[in-house]
Amino acid sequence: MKNKNIKMILIFLIPVTILYTFFFIYPLGFVLATSMTKWNGISAMEFVKLDNYIKLLTDETFLLSIKNNVIWALSGGFIQIPLATLVALILARKPRGWKTLRTIYFLPNIISAVAIAMMWKAIYNPMYGFLNAFLGLFGSEGHNWLGEINTALPAIIAQAVLYIGYFMIIILAATTTIPKSYYEAAEIDGCSTLQQEWYITLPMIRGILITTMTLAMAYGMRHFEATFLMTNGGPAHSTSVMGLILYHKMDAFRLGEANATGTILIFLGTVVIVFIRKLLTRSDAGSDSVQ
Amino acid sequence: MKKSNFLVLALILVIAGTVTGCKPKEEIKEVTLQWPCIWVGEDSKAEAVAALVEQFNADNAGSIRVEIEAQPDYDGYEQKIRTSIAAGIVPDVFTMKLNPTTKAYYESPLLMDFSKELDMGWSKDFNDGTVSQATVDGMVKSLPYEVAITPVWYNMDLLKKAGVSSYPKTYDEFLDTAAKLKAAGIIPTSQMTGGSNAWTSMLWYSHFLASFGGKNVYDNPFEGDAYVKAAEVLLAMFSDGNTSRDAVGGDAGVSGGHYLAAESAMFINGPWYIGRVKGDAPDVYAATEVGPAPAVGSNSGAMIGFLQTNFAAAANADDPAKAAAAVKFIKWMTKGENVAKISKQSGALFAVKYDASSIDDALQQKFIEASNNASFTISHLAGVVPADVVSEFGQALGKMALGEATPAEFVEMLKKVNNQ
Repeated sequence: MKNKNIKMILIFLIPVTILYTFFFIYPLGFVLATSMTKWNGISAMEFVKLDNYIKLLTDETFLLSIKNNVIWALSGGFIQIPLATLVALILARKPRGWKTLRTIYFLPNIISAVAIAMMWKAIYNPMYGFLNAFLGLFGSEGHNWLGEINTALPAIIAQAVLYIGYFMIIILAATTTIPKSYYEAAEIDGCSTLQQEWYITLPMIRGILITTMTLAMAYGMRHFEATFLMTNGGPAHSTSVMGLILYHKMDAFRLGEANATGTILIFLGTVVIVFIRKLLTRSDAGSDSVQ
Repeated sequence: MKKSNFLVLALILVIAGTVTGCKPKEEIKEVTLQWPCIWVGEDSKAEAVAALVEQFNADNAGSIRVEIEAQPDYDGYEQKIRTSIAAGIVPDVFTMKLNPTTKAYYESPLLMDFSKELDMGWSKDFNDGTVSQATVDGMVKSLPYEVAITPVWYNMDLLKKAGVSSYPKTYDEFLDTAAKLKAAGIIPTSQMTGGSNAWTSMLWYSHFLASFGGKNVYDNPFEGDAYVKAAEVLLAMFSDGNTSRDAVGGDAGVSGGHYLAAESAMFINGPWYIGRVKGDAPDVYAATEVGPAPAVGSNSGAMIGFLQTNFAAAANADDPAKAAAAVKFIKWMTKGENVAKISKQSGALFAVKYDASSIDDALQQKFIEASNNASFTISHLAGVVPADVVSEFGQALGKMALGEATPAEFVEMLKKVNNQ
């Protein structure tokens, strides 16, 4: 029986293992190996040891990109997720029209990121944009939101963290697994709604909150699309991120450097995620929260 | 029927079916060429190119068929070509911009070398000197096709509205014109720092480099006074309201949009933009004059000109029929009468000899005149430096325009990337 189980396990694992090897392990190994070469993708590779890494880690723009990625990750974890949680907790109380609101919040997730970026680019336009027109009603002279160093990064992050629908749905689903009797008992004990959320809901969905925070921060570390479409890293590299550096290295046929960038991105992403999970889960052992 | 007779009959039918079924397959062997193409959708050349492909397919029905893979986004198109070649898969036919970075394509044995075909007389179809521009180490792995000259576009209606009767020829005249335009509520110039190469502003800078440094300015990129002086003038274009408020961070849609909307009076782009202006802003089209940029340095009347698009093809060494079909198709596309059709519809200019007398577009004629009247012609900056310098240009310009870098620091930023 035991041998039979092992056979079945192997049979089920083989397809996934093959796919994972070809589409993840092999490319990852290839990226690692070629990150130590000078290579334009067409001619022969030249082994340059750690030169690409040294070059990147002494480049001001690259260091700024790492900082920006960390800002993106923190914004995802500590602004987007709390917002998503707040909305999920409100909708979990099933106020009037909650289903419609749930759909509205989720809708941006099925719209192309390109369309959304273009829309926000138009909103931020200093001459014809909605935002300056609106602020103009209160006497503001208006800003070139995406064209000024001190506003460009916050402007892109602000439009991104507003889209909470994806995480809200996950958190909302988690709240439905909490037995109603907990709330009934709390109500009998005289707990307010706020106390119920604080002492029952949040502890019970702690596992899901950690997972969503990890996901949001991982997305932040690998962020690319909105920045590429809205500022291309400008002005003066102020919104640059590692993904964009990787893209520009590829654009310039510097594939060795591009792969070194990719390797650093993967490494830093892993470090940040492991660190945040350690930090948030250290007192989670034994908890009966939803995972 | 006996069982054995039935089996014999069935066998005969199978053999007969196989034989008759195979024979036509051997005779009909149509070669299909895939062409990832940017001249689709809203592009001014789209209609003429589609008609030519359709005509070619009709003329070669049963033997060659060209299929266009629509790729309207140029950055995406370049990515696709680059990734394909790096992966060892070259599109049957494609177009490319030849620059110091893309010259790496010539290292690939997967690209067709047109040298022999050109030596057999085809080279006579191209304008003098253009084939040599596309030759690297004796190989011609891309054929010159579209050429560009990029003079300054002047909206004379806006200049007249501001009380200026002719476009500025010197820097002092430019400053005077700009002051009058601003007083009339008109944006003097279209500029941009965004997009992949800050296109419009990169062209302004190229004009200023020509004026300060002459025709040999690119011999030592970013060395010498010309680069800093040209940067000082470019900075002036971004200062004191000489351009739009959205220029920093703005892309080609922003710089072109202001000109199309008759909000800015001076703009730079190539002849391919004629079709767009003619269709979307006929009043602006009618009011446009083209000419050199104001002489900001000691050289006047210079023009920026370059090979804009080259044709290339897969070598297809293991499939001679496909290789021959690709050559046949590119020969069709470079045929003078066909090029004239595209030129007439789009306003674009070409490196192929064709009868331009049928071109009656007034603005296109002005482009040709501007080219003929140029004291000398040099490439744009993006044509002579690697792609990462081109990419850095917009970032460095944004930094300078925002007061975070001096013109000398702007040049230093570009030089640093160029020396990598």
